[in-house]
Amino acid sequence: MTSYAYFFGCVIPNRYPGVEYAVRWVCGKEGYDMDVKDVPDFSCCPVPGIFYSTDKETWLLLATRNLVLAQDERREILTVCNGCLTSLMKASEYLKDPKSMGKVNRVLAQVGKKYTGVPKKSEGKRKVFEPVSVRHYIEVMANDIGLEAIAAKAKRPLKNIKVAVHYGCHYLRPTESRTIDDPNNPVLLDKIVEACGATSVDYEDKLDCCGAGGGVRSHVVDLANSLTQDKCRNISDVGADCIVTGCPFCLLQFDNAQKSFSKDGIPVMHVSQFQALSMGIDPISLGFDTHHVSAHSLLRKLRGA
Amino acid sequence: MGEVEKTFISGLKEELVEEKVIDESQLDPNFAKEIKKYGGKDVMTCLQCGNCTGVCPISLKIDYKTRSIIKYCQFGLRTYTLGTRWVCATCYRCYEHCPADINPAEVMIALRHIAVREGVIPPFIKVAATNLVRYGQSVKPDEEINKIRKELGLGDIHTFSPDFKKVLREISVLIHASKYDKLIGIEDEVMV
Amino acid sequence: MGSPEPLKKDPVTSTPPATGTETTTPRIGVFVCHCGSNIAGVVDCPRVTEVASKMPGVVVARDNKYTCSDLGQDEIVKAIVEAKVDRVVIASCSPRMHEPTFRACIQRAGLNPYVLHMVNIREQCSWVHNQEKQRATEKAIDLVRMGVSKAARLIPLEAREVPVEPKALIVGGGVAGIQAALDLGNMGFKVYLVESKPSIGGVMAQLDKTFPTGDCAICILAPKMVELARHPNVTLLSYSEVEEVKGYIGNYEVKVRRKSRYVHEDKCVGCGVCAEVCPVKVDNEFDMGFGKRKAIYVPFPQAVPLKYTIDKENCLHFKTGKCLLCVKECTNKAIDHKMEDEVLDLKVGTIIVATGFQTYVPMKKGVYKYWEYENVITALELERLLNASGPTGGHLIRPSDQKTPRRVAFIQCVGSRNKKIDRNYCSRVCCMYAIKNAQIIKEHEPGTEIAVYYNDIRAFGKGFEELYHRVREEFGVEFIRGRPAKLSENRETKSIMIRAEETLMSKITEREFDLIVLSVGLLPSEGSKRIGKTLGLSLSSDGFFAEAHPKLRPVDTATDGVFLAGCAQSPKDIPDSVAQAKAAASSAAAIMFSGKVKIEPLTVEVDESLCVGCGLCVEQCPYGAPELIQNEEGRTRARIIEALCHGCGTCAASCPQNAITAKQFTDEQICSELTAALSQNGQAKTAGKKAEEGV
Repeated sequence: MTSYAYFFGCVIPNRYPGVEYAVRWVCGKEGYDMDVKDVPDFSCCPVPGIFYSTDKETWLLLATRNLVLAQDERREILTVCNGCLTSLMKASEYLKDPKSMGKVNRVLAQVGKKYTGVPKKSEGKRKVFEPVSVRHYIEVMANDIGLEAIAAKAKRPLKNIKVAVHYGCHYLRPTESRTIDDPNNPVLLDKIVEACGATSVDYEDKLDCCGAGGGVRSHVVDLANSLTQDKCRNISDVGADCIVTGCPFCLLQFDNAQKSFSKDGIPVMHVSQFQALSMGIDPISLGFDTHHVSAHSLLRKLRGA
Repeated sequence: MGEVEKTFISGLKEELVEEKVIDESQLDPNFAKEIKKYGGKDVMTCLQCGNCTGVCPISLKIDYKTRSIIKYCQFGLRTYTLGTRWVCATCYRCYEHCPADINPAEVMIALRHIAVREGVIPPFIKVAATNLVRYGQSVKPDEEINKIRKELGLGDIHTFSPDFKKVLREISVLIHASKYDKLIGIEDEVMV
Repeated sequence: MGSPEPLKKDPVTSTPPATGTETTTPRIGVFVCHCGSNIAGVVDCPRVTEVASKMPGVVVARDNKYTCSDLGQDEIVKAIVEAKVDRVVIASCSPRMHEPTFRACIQRAGLNPYVLHMVNIREQCSWVHNQEKQRATEKAIDLVRMGVSKAARLIPLEAREVPVEPKALIVGGGVAGIQAALDLGNMGFKVYLVESKPSIGGVMAQLDKTFPTGDCAICILAPKMVELARHPNVTLLSYSEVEEVKGYIGNYEVKVRRKSRYVHEDKCVGCGVCAEVCPVKVDNEFDMGFGKRKAIYVPFPQAVPLKYTIDKENCLHFKTGKCLLCVKECTNKAIDHKMEDEVLDLKVGTIIVATGFQTYVPMKKGVYKYWEYENVITALELERLLNASGPTGGHLIRPSDQKTPRRVAFIQCVGSRNKKIDRNYCSRVCCMYAIKNAQIIKEHEPGTEIAVYYNDIRAFGKGFEELYHRVREEFGVEFIRGRPAKLSENRETKSIMIRAEETLMSKITEREFDLIVLSVGLLPSEGSKRIGKTLGLSLSSDGFFAEAHPKLRPVDTATDGVFLAGCAQSPKDIPDSVAQAKAAASSAAAIMFSGKVKIEPLTVEVDESLCVGCGLCVEQCPYGAPELIQNEEGRTRARIIEALCHGCGTCAASCPQNAITAKQFTDEQICSELTAALSQNGQAKTAGKKAEEGV
């Protein structure tokens, strides 16, 4: 069985503790009882919109520091956020180049760390290393746990719930370093939602950006919100009951932006929260009170169903 | 035919559209090389087909065209790219559709590297970097949320744990080693 | 490689190997070429000549401004005769360039053409070291020294002649294959034309009109198809596949599978009564799925041969064991559901590959929504919709409601010039066919609004640019420079909105159209990979067959006696395909007219006393030259089929027993070159070092 290390990033612990609770619950004893462990020394991935955008050298140093921690634990990194995924995955990709690795290691020596990759079974005298593996929650659920297992655990299937799924850009693109899902026709999140008993509804421009990424939210919040507004219009056009995403930053954007252009808004949650709901968790534990858009309408519909 | 209607967001138009007269002194012949240095691909191989503009969510909203930015980069019009550097959402749709395999999003990222080195540093960069140095996270911990965490039984955010001091120190060392503190002006935060 | 022993020998005193013909000391002539300033601009040629003249065995050394010129060659002949030269070293360009020239030259002087050694001091010296003149000269001297050392050990060889079977095989019955077959047939050669489909004609038969003149495609093609079928020298093998090709230039043995039509060609008169009664209707692939055909069918009315074919997949009899309505109706008793495939063995001297192309199939979930929106069609589908003998009788309709579209958009470069999908090349015909089709639509329905979304218009052929301007100015077709980013369908009207940046206006626009035509690029045809493997042809990076030389041998392949014609080699239009077919036919004819070909003697030989018959050479050889035989003593040994051997030396290098020798590249010859390379003025360069190390 694969062993993982939780990588919650910054947004989840500091803004959406309910997501953290849901992930721990789904992966823990109540759920799939996976071999997954906390690594308390993990820092920010670091966030690609800031560090990858302004100084790749610093970005790679900080990201490698996190990779080294996972490497020393011999665990795959289980990210719950598209930003963390793209940052760490890209770093792992960069480090395949021995020159980059050497350069990074020279600096990391100052903090007593060294990136080698995870040692695999040796061929003769030569040690063989593999890059630290960085995984996304959606993909781990769909591939490692399996859709059948998800459906089997959904003891309270979310029937009659129409879900608009939002993958988030960095789950799909750029494809130069990843092939998690088809970038033009991703399916895994839809399948997880369906395995939970709900219906995933198709909507116009489903793969479009939420608007937050790349520092746009921080820089020009109106512009980011304007993109979110377009998305929400398309989503409410098909009458979705909620938005499910795999990325807490998209979640944050949908959650915060909606109050700028609508009174009620469409409830939005992380896929782990949605999954936990289908597995019969008490919604109180999902921390919906930290969300700006109330999940009330959805929960009421669930109770009715 | 209808041109796509754009919601001009107040204050943004002036920032993005520079004066339209170009004189030769504005052209930097080494600009394309500089972009390559920061990880962008060769902008000179761009076919100018405009596919990137059409798929760009930002181009549909404001007076910003991915293709034009690449064109400015070909010309070496540094100043023209100045205000546009921070509106790219790095959604990489341009990359997925580019027939010349340019990866415009990475060009935008290279432009940000150049901007930062010219001293154009938006405040949010400093804020996030400061948060990282102080808390090990780019998002500032929130007391209210921490209360809820405890209610849920999740415990304190690990930033507050005494063992995390060591991590903060490591981050400071690394940021200082790459001279990032100096680059964006947060030397006061970094304790080495 | 052989034992290191030859290295220890002093190159000055070592004698050439006993060849049975040469026992005296060799007399070597060295000729250094200036190649204008190509070589002399970097290398000090007079100095190279001077040093060469003092090398062991050299009796004459000259330099010349242009060695390959008539004057230069005469000087070589004169020098050979005067100085009684019996080994020749020419230091000039690559042997790929002029080896045949100089072989003929020394032959004129009475020498065996294989006692020539060419030293490349242009491509591999002056061109690559043009910044370091001094060191380039030193390198040239070293290279000449190596050449002289090898020349001393050259062995005269005799080229063998083999007869040529005066028959040709042509693979593919499109316009290129048809033209090549007719040309060769008219020259009096027997031709077999193999086509995998039930009818010849290829893609050209599907087209409506041709650019730039607007000739009707089938009207100009059909007479050629008929002529071919009636030609006394041409055997048309339609609905057939080439299964196996063995042999070599002049002597190819080919197996052709004649797929069963379930209709006897000799009995079928093409009356079509069978198809009238056939109850099964399926999409006709010839009409790109727009028209219907029966399970027993001819793909189109002008098909050649006009013989019916049963499509086994859909025939009711094959599915249920019943029906047989066609059999009842056929007065000639031509239909036979029990008919079986037949395999023919042919012997031919030359082969022309004209396997054509197929069009790019748009992506399943791509931007252009080909698989999702009914009113997005490909250009080839449009050709059928515009064609007078097509499913609509030439009346353009759109698939969703069968109505005439008022607004049509063409999207260019679909599957071409796109690095993202690894289709980097330009398909060459899409710009022009889109322009031509825009004109035809305007002629049919003058009120139609037409827009062409393009990147660059490439109108490079005779009359192309003129057509482009006519369509743009006189017919008012709009050309929009920009690659569409998004297509979305109006669910009610089924019209399609295109969003694109119009780059010349720098504006993002959304326009609505009734019909979208994707100008799809050209790919190598489906069967070409298999046929390429059968014939051992190599592919260019674009997936099309590689020609022997992109400029000077554009119809030849690396396999002697095999030629390329039409789109099998690269995307091209009809006139280019026809021209290449004619070129391929005359290249093939040149070989067959002479009746014999010379086989290069630079092959390998097996020393039977060393061979243990392990068969490694058989596995390694890319040309299938070695074979395992039982010798007189009943032992398994390798033997080389000389006509198949290209002398590449792969087997010689891999033979664990050292039993295989490559002629003119023997271990001794190569070692002598190496020894010369490592020596300076005849002294081993490494001598001092070796002494230090105590070797």
